[in-house]
Amino acid sequence: MTIAEIIFLSVALVTMGGAVMAVLSGSIVNALMGLVIAMFGIAGLYVYLHSPFLAMMQILIYVGAIAVLIAFAVMLAGPLYLKPKEWTTLGKFGAAAGIGLLAFLLLTRVVTTTFSRSLVPSFRLGTKDIGRLFFNELMLPFELISLLIVVGVLGAIMLALFSRGRK
Amino acid sequence: MNAILYDQVFAYLFLSLFLLFCGIVGVLYRRTLIGMLVSMELIMNGAGLNLVALNRFVVPENVYGSAFALIIMGIAAAEAAVALSIIILIFKKYQHIEGGELKEMKD
Repeated sequence: MTIAEIIFLSVALVTMGGAVMAVLSGSIVNALMGLVIAMFGIAGLYVYLHSPFLAMMQILIYVGAIAVLIAFAVMLAGPLYLKPKEWTTLGKFGAAAGIGLLAFLLLTRVVTTTFSRSLVPSFRLGTKDIGRLFFNELMLPFELISLLIVVGVLGAIMLALFSRGRK
Repeated sequence: MNAILYDQVFAYLFLSLFLLFCGIVGVLYRRTLIGMLVSMELIMNGAGLNLVALNRFVVPENVYGSAFALIIMGIAAAEAAVALSIIILIFKKYQHIEGGELKEMKD
């Protein structure tokens, strides 16, 4: 086993551990830390998929923007430690795990029957090709994404400014 | 099957499947709305990883999968902003953010 395989296995284990921590931990702050760990793991997987630009964007957008946003919401949404009720009944957990396992097994069957042969092509496309694609063929989706983000931010500001809490 | 592990499409697809599984369990199991939002982010990351892996192993002559992974990141950012502002509004109005307790529209 080469050192690249060892690093890949450790990155995959970090991703899975972060995801499990994000789902199963009792406090919401620990869940957020699990999400951040999983994001870093996925950035490492993007590096293994020959997409370093995507890895950088993953860390910038998810860890730098979304995780900080969720942390602010956790701080603004009050003292959660007064109500430590993140653990629910065992039956609900069983139902959730059952539905998740059903989807997992079904999609595992789809994956193993569809991609049975091993595919090792060479992949020599980089960031320049992504930029050319965005500014030639995907021009309209690119502009629509920026419009969506502007409208989302304006809507968030409107909701925050012109709403009344219970006083 | 003597190829190395990180050149197999299986490894990435199983990882994204695991992220989808964790996300489904989290959305169904969490009580607070922020926990559900964290699980939704896990599902979106699984989708992005799936797209990039299939782009690299099945159609390596173009980069549509990477472009759509970037679009998913943008949509996730906008969704998180709007959802968190709604969650803070719900907290200001009801003093809690538990999903099961919000039944004003149901009555």
